[in-house]
Parts: sequence; C-alpha cells; structure tokens
Amino acid sequence: MNTPTDAPRLTFLGKFVMLLFIAGALGAAYYLWPKAKPASPSADPNGTGAAQPSPTQSPREATANAVTIGVAYGTEKKRWFTWAVEQFAQTPAGKNVTVNLVPLGSVEASRAILKKDKTINVWSPASSLPKGEFVSEWQMQFAGQNPILKSESLALTPMVFVMWAERYEAFMGKYKEVSFKTIAQALAEPGGWNSIASKPQWGLFKFGHTNPASSNSGLVTLVLMAYDHSGKSRDLTMADITSVPFVEWARKLQRNVTGLSHSTGTMMQEMIQRGPSTYDCLFVYENTAIDYIANAEGRWGSLKVVYPERNIWNESPYYILDVAWSSKEQRKASQAFLDFLLSEPSQQQALTHGFRPANVSVAIKTPESPFTRLEGSGLRVDLADVAEPPAPDVLANLLLSWQRARSGN
Amino acid sequence: MDHSIQAGHGRNNPLWSTPLSRWLSVISLVIAGLAGCERPAAPAPATGASTAAPTKPQPAQVNSVELVFPYGSEKKAWIDAATQEFVASGVKTASGRSIVIKPLPMGSGDVVDETLSGRLQAHIVSPASAAFVKLGNAKSQATTGGPLVGQTQDLVLSPVVIAMWKPMAEALGWPKKEIGWSDVLAVANDPSGWASVGKPQWGAFRFGHTHPEYSNSGLMAVIAQIYAFTGKTANLTLSDLQTPKVAQQLEQIQRSLVHYGDSTGFFAKKMFAGGPAYLSAAVLYENTIIETMTAPPGSAGAPAMPVVAIYPKEGTFWSDHPIGIVQRAWVTAEHQDAANQYIKFLLSRPQQTKAMSLGFRPSDVGIALASPIEASSGVDPKQPVTTLQAPEADVINASIELWRVHKKKSDIVLVMDTSGSMGKDRRMDNARPGAVALLEMLGNEDRFSLLSFSTKSNWAMRSVKVSDHRSQAIESVNNLFPGGGTALYDSISEAYTYLVSQKAVNSDRISAIVVLTDGEDTESKLRLAGLLSQIQSDRERQPIRVFTIGYGNEADGKILQNIADKSGAKFFKGTPQNIRQVFKEIATFF
Repeated sequence: MNTPTDAPRLTFLGKFVMLLFIAGALGAAYYLWPKAKPASPSADPNGTGAAQPSPTQSPREATANAVTIGVAYGTEKKRWFTWAVEQFAQTPAGKNVTVNLVPLGSVEASRAILKKDKTINVWSPASSLPKGEFVSEWQMQFAGQNPILKSESLALTPMVFVMWAERYEAFMGKYKEVSFKTIAQALAEPGGWNSIASKPQWGLFKFGHTNPASSNSGLVTLVLMAYDHSGKSRDLTMADITSVPFVEWARKLQRNVTGLSHSTGTMMQEMIQRGPSTYDCLFVYENTAIDYIANAEGRWGSLKVVYPERNIWNESPYYILDVAWSSKEQRKASQAFLDFLLSEPSQQQALTHGFRPANVSVAIKTPESPFTRLEGSGLRVDLADVAEPPAPDVLANLLLSWQRARSGN
Repeated sequence: MDHSIQAGHGRNNPLWSTPLSRWLSVISLVIAGLAGCERPAAPAPATGASTAAPTKPQPAQVNSVELVFPYGSEKKAWIDAATQEFVASGVKTASGRSIVIKPLPMGSGDVVDETLSGRLQAHIVSPASAAFVKLGNAKSQATTGGPLVGQTQDLVLSPVVIAMWKPMAEALGWPKKEIGWSDVLAVANDPSGWASVGKPQWGAFRFGHTHPEYSNSGLMAVIAQIYAFTGKTANLTLSDLQTPKVAQQLEQIQRSLVHYGDSTGFFAKKMFAGGPAYLSAAVLYENTIIETMTAPPGSAGAPAMPVVAIYPKEGTFWSDHPIGIVQRAWVTAEHQDAANQYIKFLLSRPQQTKAMSLGFRPSDVGIALASPIEASSGVDPKQPVTTLQAPEADVINASIELWRVHKKKSDIVLVMDTSGSMGKDRRMDNARPGAVALLEMLGNEDRFSLLSFSTKSNWAMRSVKVSDHRSQAIESVNNLFPGGGTALYDSISEAYTYLVSQKAVNSDRISAIVVLTDGEDTESKLRLAGLLSQIQSDRERQPIRVFTIGYGNEADGKILQNIADKSGAKFFKGTPQNIRQVFKEIATFF
C-alpha cells in the first residue's frame, strides 16, 4: 500500500525504549535459533510447546452470537492470513467469527492501537521489535496496564536478497558475490548497468528495502549492513558504526537506495508488477521472496535468492490485546483464530508461503516444500551465521545515521 | 434481497462522458507559482452529447449505502462491467445495508480536484496515476492537516507508450532496433519528414500527445521527453531544465504536434480512425493499443492498419490506477466498510482477469501475463525495461512552465454567430465570457482572429499577437451583439481561406477555427457539400481543424459534427450553462 503521508518520527524516549526491547528480542532470537537443526527448524523459541490441536480434531464450541475481530498484521503474511481467514470460517470454532484483516506496518499498527482504533483486537507484526515501544507508550498514556494479553510466535523467517536472475548473472559477472558491499558498489556506479555489464538499456542499478523508521525489515537491514561492513557477526560497537569509513559508506549507500516502502509485501509486489525497470534487487524476508517466485515467472522471469553472510530471525508474534474495546467474546475468538493459525493445516500453509513453521510437528524439508522445490532459485535451510543484536545505543545511532543520510544532513 | 433497487443505480451510465482533467488546477494549489490558471467553475462536462452532472451524490435508498466513485476514464469499460457484477452479487455492509456504487469516469485531475474542493462528495477515488493522489494529499495536508485519500492499492497497471503505425515503426528500425524519443526527434526535426527514412510518400511526421496541464499522459509525455534530452532516468532537477539543449529539443519535438487536447481516448480514437495521414504516432497507454488491436476486424474500433507500442528506450512511466478511501467527514464508518468490500471485489481474481482481457496488466501478481498482452496486440509484456523516477512537485511545475514557453504556437480564428436568435435565453450573454475564457488560456505567442457573422461576416481583428492584443480582443468579444440572419457556411469558408493564406507564412503553427452557432444556415451562397469539399481537400496539405459548437437546441448537431469530423477536429454541444467549460476544453487543443 502506498501511504498518504510520511510517518512521524519517534520521540527519543520512544526510540530508546524500543531499542531496549529490540536488543532483548534479537538477543533471545539469537541465542535460541542459531543451533536449530537444519532439517527441523521449527523449534519453538517462545515455548509454545507441542503442536496445537487441529480445528477439526478439537473444535471449539461455536459461540451463540456472531463476533467480529480485527487483526492488524504485516503484509508479509498476507497470503497465508487470507487463506487462514477463509479456512477458519469453515471450522466450528470460526463459523461465527468474522476476521477482518487490517494490513499495517509495525509502526502504523502500533500508532493505531495507541489511538484506540477499535477495529483492532489482535496485532501480528513481522517481529517483536516494535512491541517494546508500544507497551511503554501505552503504559505511559493509560496508567500502567499491559495492553498485551497473550503473545505467541506463529512462524519464522530470515532475510534475503532477491534479484532478477538475468541481472543476478550480470551482477555476479562483475562483483562475484551479492552482499551489502557489492550492492553499495553497484549503486555508486554513475553509469549504472552500462558500467556493470554493458547494458545501458537497464538504466541505473536499483535496490530497495523498507523504511527502517516504520518497518521491521528496514531496521533489520540497517543492522545487517553494519555487520557486513565490519566483517563481524557479534559485538557491533559504537566505534564500528561511528568510524568515518563506515559512516561515509553507509551514507552513500543510503542516498542511492531507490525504494523505501513501509511494507515488505507491498514492495515485493511492486517488484513483480513493474519488473526490473523498477527494482533490480530487494532485501526482504525469505518468505516474501518465496511467496512471489512463481508469480515472477508469469511476469518478467526468474528470481534468484541470495542469503546475506549474517542473518537475523523474524518470528511473527501474535498479540491478543487486553484493551477495553475487546469484549470477552472477541478475546475468545482471537484465541480461537490463534489456535487455528498454529494448527497443522495452517502451519503447512505457512510453509507453502515460505515461512518456517513454529509448530514442530510440521517438517520443513518435504518434497512439496518450497525449500525443496525452489532450491534452484537459491533457497536453503541452513543459515551460515546468525548475527548478535547490537546494544541499544548502537541501534539508536544506526537509525539516527540513516535518518541523517536520507535527509542529506 | 433488495439489490434490484441498487442495480438501477449501479448500472447507470456514468454521468460525465469525458470531463476535463484539470491537472493545472490541482498542481497550482499545491505548488506556488502557477499563476494565471483558473479552476473550472463547476465540474460540468464540456464534451459533445453529454449532459450536465450533479455535483453532489443523490440521496440513496434508506436501506442502502451509496459510494460516489470518481475515477480516471481510461478504465471505464472494466469499471462498468465489474460494478455491474458487484451490484448483482448483492453484497451488504456489516449492518445489512445494500451497497450502491455511483461510478463517475473523468479526467484524473478532476477526480482529485473536485473531491478536494468538496464540490463532489466522493467516498472512493481512483485517478490514472499515484501522482494525483500525492498532489491532492499535499494540498489537503496544507489546508486541513490531513490527507485527502488514505492508503491506496493499485487496481491495474499500464505503461505510457508511443503508439505508432507498424510500418512507420519498422521504417525507424523497430523491432530490431530499440526506439526512443531521440528517434522521434530526428524524424520530426527533419524538414523532409518521413523521406528522411526513405518513405517520402508518408509526408511529414505528425505527432500527438495531450495537454500536460490537463491530462496525465500529456504530462508524462513532456516529462519523459525532458528526461530523454538530459540523458537521465532519475533525479531530474531544476538546473537540468535550464539547459539550453533541453529547451531546444523540446521545442523541436513539439513542432511536430498536430494539436494537444484533454483526453487520451480522443487521441486514440482520432489516430485509429484517421489513419497515418492524421497522426504518425501519439503518446497513449498500452491498454489503449490492445483495446484497439483486439477490436473485431471491420468494427468501428478496428484500426486501419496495425499499431505497435514503442516503449521509449530512454524510459517511461507507469499508469498505476491507485484506489483509496477519501478522508473526509462525509465518509462514515459504513461507507468505509462498503468501500473495502468494493475494493476487495475489484482486486479479486475474476475481476483482475477481466481487466487483463481488456488490456490492463493486473495488479494481482498471481495472474501471469497472457493474451491479449502479447505481440499480436502490438505490445511486449517484457517491456518497459527502463522506467523514470517521478520528479518532485517543483520540477513538475517547472517542466510545465518550460513546455508553455516551447510548445507549438497556434493561429486561431473564432467564428461567432451574432444572428438575432443569439439574443434568446441569454445565449450571447453567456457565450461572451466563454469566448473570453478561451482567449485567456491562449499563450502569449499565439495569434488570434475574430470573425463575427449574421447575415454577413465581419472581421473584428486578424492574426493579432495575443500578448499585445489580449485586452483589445476581449473587448471585441464583449462588444458582440445579436441581430440578423445566419451565413454559417460562407463564414467558415472565409475563415478557412484566410488561415490557408496564413499557413503559407506560418506553417509551423496549429491552425484552427472555432465556430459557435445556434442555428442552421439561412444566408450562405456556399452549400454544405462545397464547404465539406473545401476543408477535406486541404486537410492533407494544410491541416486546419474546424472545432464546432452547436449552441442551444436549434443548432443542427449532425451538420456541425460532420464539419468537425471532416477536418479532424471535434464537435461540442453547448448550452448557456456549460459554454464556458466548452471553450476551455477547446483551448486545451492549442
């Protein structure tokens, strides 16, 4: 979706609290996930335990009266959730529940709930990064109450570069690898593709990621860029990100970034709709790339997926809100929808759309799995290295540097 | 089920057949410095055969909720069909009320402008490109602190292309060679025209795009030309526009324009009906070419010969048709509920598939591009390979200013009926300010003549330079008074003969006659057949367009339509209420 206005900037306190939480969340993900077995990466980082019951196995009793719930969610889950809403309505637990999906970026959703948007009963961002700031702001405004009744992880996904295959070959011909370093070099080529591969008709090299101030994947991008430049995967320090070479490199790179969407799914959709003339390469969630590989074939051709040397997990939390406008029935319905999302059929569907299931009973490397079918596009289950989340002050300065680079200061 | 009540609304033909796109009026509100541009007094239609539109929604049935939906007219066929199906499906809001859709096709500028002013209390809008939403939101932000339109989703997509007759494209080297603005410029610039590529029989290179202040495709065309002349594909700056080479090349390419206009659809229709003698190429949307190329052979819409889409090698723009809900107090929660259901319906797989059958690229990327988006329709689904970055508002403004200075100049003769019947129903009283509006919109370098007629004709002025004589010309128009008979044919012939003589001196101008009459000819020695023969025989050699306005109920529309068609121009039906708007629309051709 296109947004009508630029997002307001966060207050310093907001940023600080958010970053504290980010540090915690990333830390938890880091320590829980790097040792996950490749063949079964569905270990449960939040202790959700065994597989949830299938709605057909233990359906909840339908409520006597119809109830409507609103689920604000990140568009990276659009196709899975759209399927889930339709299927949930066919189950005994869901037949009296209308689920309204509200596609919103992390910061937008947080802001809407803080403004008491009564159409939202559940919030499911891409990761828990925005939760800290949200809870803190809520507690400041509404006298200490925790607005989150329940929190569960739905599925996991890391980050990837996704590039048109034809352009990937041309890019590799010159740079030999796809990394933030080589992307920065390509962006800096004044002659664009003419200099890279003698293809003047391809125009300038065009790279996009989401806006770090409003979208989870954008913030993750900044962290991984910094690690990539430092050559480390842990202990990113203030000295690393304030060194003149890094600041100059990051500033130049950011000024040349083409797209800054507020939503990963929307940005990926634009890449498929408008083709290589709009984006040569994006940095997105793995599941988003998987979800669109088949569509790309029907439009402009093949896509190639490349993993960054260091990665970070996004865990798709599901927050049932503890807010005055959510009735008892709505909370029950929200739980019922959560149960459905974690059920095997739904987790299988999540896998179809490229997520690594949270439900450990759903295997990832089956013959039908995209991780098997799309190996040729570059997909793989193992991650070489999962980066350690940086300290809050380092994150704060990364975001500040980005804002300065984009505003030209 | 009560949708039968709504079906009446939903199936209503749109109220405005081809209303003006008032690009400038939107831009001028957003960007300081666009002086001298009036907003339309009302969104009344200015085109022939249309009827006046109400500016506010009619009260809907109590048990229904009505969505007023102005949208870019390029997608009319699809929206009409989809809306009919939506209404027939009987979808209701959460509270159980039926949903009534009132689709209003119009220029994209008007979609935003009329909603912004509140003259049209729209609930959802969908202009042809996101640029209009940006401009509308910027203006709204400045005046109300909030946007006009909320989040948007692209309904369908279509690239802006140069439509060219296939043999002509082949003469330029297509498809083996990539063609761009530089190739068009080269052939347009050559005094020998098509002879420069070995095709002397095709005469001069005749090019067309719409008026950039009023139409999306015209603005995209001008900005794409400027980009091409700078050699850039992004970050167009104000200093780029000050480069002498850019101004020079813009002027050169503009010289090949046959005329401007406010409607992309009109250009397509004229090009495909008139053949290569009328236009060699025009800036259109890809979907327009597909629509034409897939028309049944022999039907009215089928082209004289194949047309192909040229995706300029220097780059082009997408027309992305964003749809969004209006953020105004008249849009209730129930309207939003209904709007979300309608938008969801338009984005559903069956409707997106239908859009592709009409030549649009579906927004739903789950639909693989297939027929009719294929080579046999004159298009290439793997193009464009280069798109241009939309400039900032100040650069858009400066581009329009640059175009104004370097656009093709005009030589216009206004032929005004001052017969006695013009005294009825305040016809003359209302026609005068209309003619003044036309004069005010002419450029400083344009030339203007006034020939009034009743029983006899009378030249009030001939080919005066507008910058030096604008006030005098306005005074002359205001001094016209009714009395006498109607020597219509003799007067048109006299004006035509005069412009032919002028053409020998000023061959690089748009030459046109604007005729306003409220009755049938009663005094001429020349018969209609003689007049038609005169204007047709000179059309090839001396293209002089005769725009005709049938004013009031007594004018013979068929004859006037015939005269306009023969000269490759356009007929308008005028009333004392819409005459000002009619003159303003005609002004967009110059």
